[in-house]
Amino acid sequence: MEKNAQKRNNINLFGKGQQPMIFAHGFGCDQNMWRFVTPAFEDTHRIVLMDHVGSGHSDHAAYDFEKYNSLTGYAQDLIEVCEELQLQDVIAVAHSVSCMIAVLAAAARPELFDKLILIGPSPCYINDQDYFGGFDPKDIEELITTLESNYLGWSSYITPVIIGNPEKPEFSEELNRSFCTMNPEIAKHFAKVTFGGDNRADLAKVRTDSLIIQCHPDVIAPVEVGQFVHKNIRNSSFVQLNTSGHCPHLTAPELVISSIKNYLYA
Amino acid sequence: MTEPIYIEDAEELYQDAPFGYLTMYGNGKILNINNTFLDWMGYNRMEILGQKSFSSLLSIGGRIYLETHIMPILQLRGEIAEINIEFKKKDGTKLPTLINAKKVKKHAMSQPVFRLSVLDISQRKHYELELMKAQKKAEQMVQRLQQINQELEEFAYTASHDLQAPLSTISGLIGLLEKKGMLKHDAKAAKYFSVIKNNTDRMKLMIRDLLEYAKIDGKEPEMLQVSLNEVCDITLEILEEQIHLHQATVIIPELPLVVGDKNQLIRLFQNLIGNSLKYRSESAPRILVEFEEREQEFCFFVKDNGMGFNQSLAPQLFEFMKRLHSHSTIAGTGIGLSACKRIVELHGGIIGATSEEGKGSTFYFTLPKKEIG
Repeated sequence: MEKNAQKRNNINLFGKGQQPMIFAHGFGCDQNMWRFVTPAFEDTHRIVLMDHVGSGHSDHAAYDFEKYNSLTGYAQDLIEVCEELQLQDVIAVAHSVSCMIAVLAAAARPELFDKLILIGPSPCYINDQDYFGGFDPKDIEELITTLESNYLGWSSYITPVIIGNPEKPEFSEELNRSFCTMNPEIAKHFAKVTFGGDNRADLAKVRTDSLIIQCHPDVIAPVEVGQFVHKNIRNSSFVQLNTSGHCPHLTAPELVISSIKNYLYA
Repeated sequence: MTEPIYIEDAEELYQDAPFGYLTMYGNGKILNINNTFLDWMGYNRMEILGQKSFSSLLSIGGRIYLETHIMPILQLRGEIAEINIEFKKKDGTKLPTLINAKKVKKHAMSQPVFRLSVLDISQRKHYELELMKAQKKAEQMVQRLQQINQELEEFAYTASHDLQAPLSTISGLIGLLEKKGMLKHDAKAAKYFSVIKNNTDRMKLMIRDLLEYAKIDGKEPEMLQVSLNEVCDITLEILEEQIHLHQATVIIPELPLVVGDKNQLIRLFQNLIGNSLKYRSESAPRILVEFEEREQEFCFFVKDNGMGFNQSLAPQLFEFMKRLHSHSTIAGTGIGLSACKRIVELHGGIIGATSEEGKGSTFYFTLPKKEIG
């Protein structure tokens, strides 16, 4: 197979351990969001960082609006990364929209994955009869309008100067460029796919052991949604952190690290 | 009497600044807010502090944007700048703003604290929306024009191409009529016949030139490194018969390599040298190609000793189907030089001509120096 997934998804590899831990970021950011968490696993695992196509420093030219019109396209990429790097017994650590990407990948290729760590998962953001997703369709429309009108806001992130980490030159270089940048057209499309999707039926197809990490309150993925995911993935555990927001790996990384460690070494 | 020194009152500056200010925890809990911002939003202090989180002041779309993009950046970088976000006022109306935010370096709190400055951009937002609308409209217009252009090119090509076949039949039959002596031998018939024949030839020429012209825009030029000496050699081969007929001398020096479409450049030289032959003077044509190397470009000259033209008419030369001579004096369609102009422009150059009646003309054109890529 051609080695193109690594470049396409801007793969960064480090760590001294054997078992691979692949970190998949959520909507609106990129692999930089994991930098408070990965140091805790570097000695024991092989860390694989990726950017979804269209985010961070992935190959933006590879953004095919048809392929990425559903999360399946992203799941296919995740599988290709595992295959190309010949990863086995993968622990997939996923945030936000990546949780459903990991769910789709694990349902399609269960033999590749050992465990799923799902931070703030939501299989469906939009309320539907008895199901509470947290949003009405018009809320999602409003988000798209926000992104649309923030054309100038998005492009102002092209060349920020960030203080890097001198111990990890590959990291500093990355940070000295830019991060969480997105082409506005891609951002809009990704937002539509992310917040308009419904993957509730895919949860039952997962056989991989999974941990759901939930914050409270989380306006993006409320507790009810996390519990729904827990109920529908058969071999899953649920932990609620004593912190709010949607990005605990940024705001309370120590809580995220200890939850993952407790789960892996229990 | 001297003016007292003006001293800022820090609290008054904060509360009444021409800016909105807000201080919050990373989780959105609001620690402080200034009067200006409260006024804009229509709330009093007690309704906000300890009551509302930052995200509850936003529209839902704005909240998602805050949680998925703004807060992660703020947490990672410690600051954000010029983010456009819309607040929801107490009365439900919206307040478009630009926010800047920075992590507070020193404080006694247990978790990170962030300060935000908020700029009301209601006016600018209107303007921005107008601009976006205009941009969308312009994009649609460009798309429409491109389509119309393409259709026109296709039309010109197809029309002229399809006219060629029946015309060939007509001129073939005219030839046969003449050859087989099938025409009445009276002066009037001969005159009519000659008019028919001339007009048929003229139409043929016009269709050929129109087709050539349509071809220039019909396909993307293939930009490669081209030897202009090779281009000129091929041109001279094509024009060999005419050169011989006019007993012309064509002098071509050593020419540089340029980046261009070979077939188009051949057509360019063919038209220019062909014109020098066509618009000759009494003396045998002497045609000289020269060039000048400049910093950014090459300038090429095709000089002749032909009949020349009145310099004041130079701009008209390159206009589509515009001619200085009538068809009956010198046959032509007025397409050749406008084709030259198109070709040179597609290559990023300019074309022009200088002349004095009876003293020959110089046609010149430039080609930018560039690498292929």
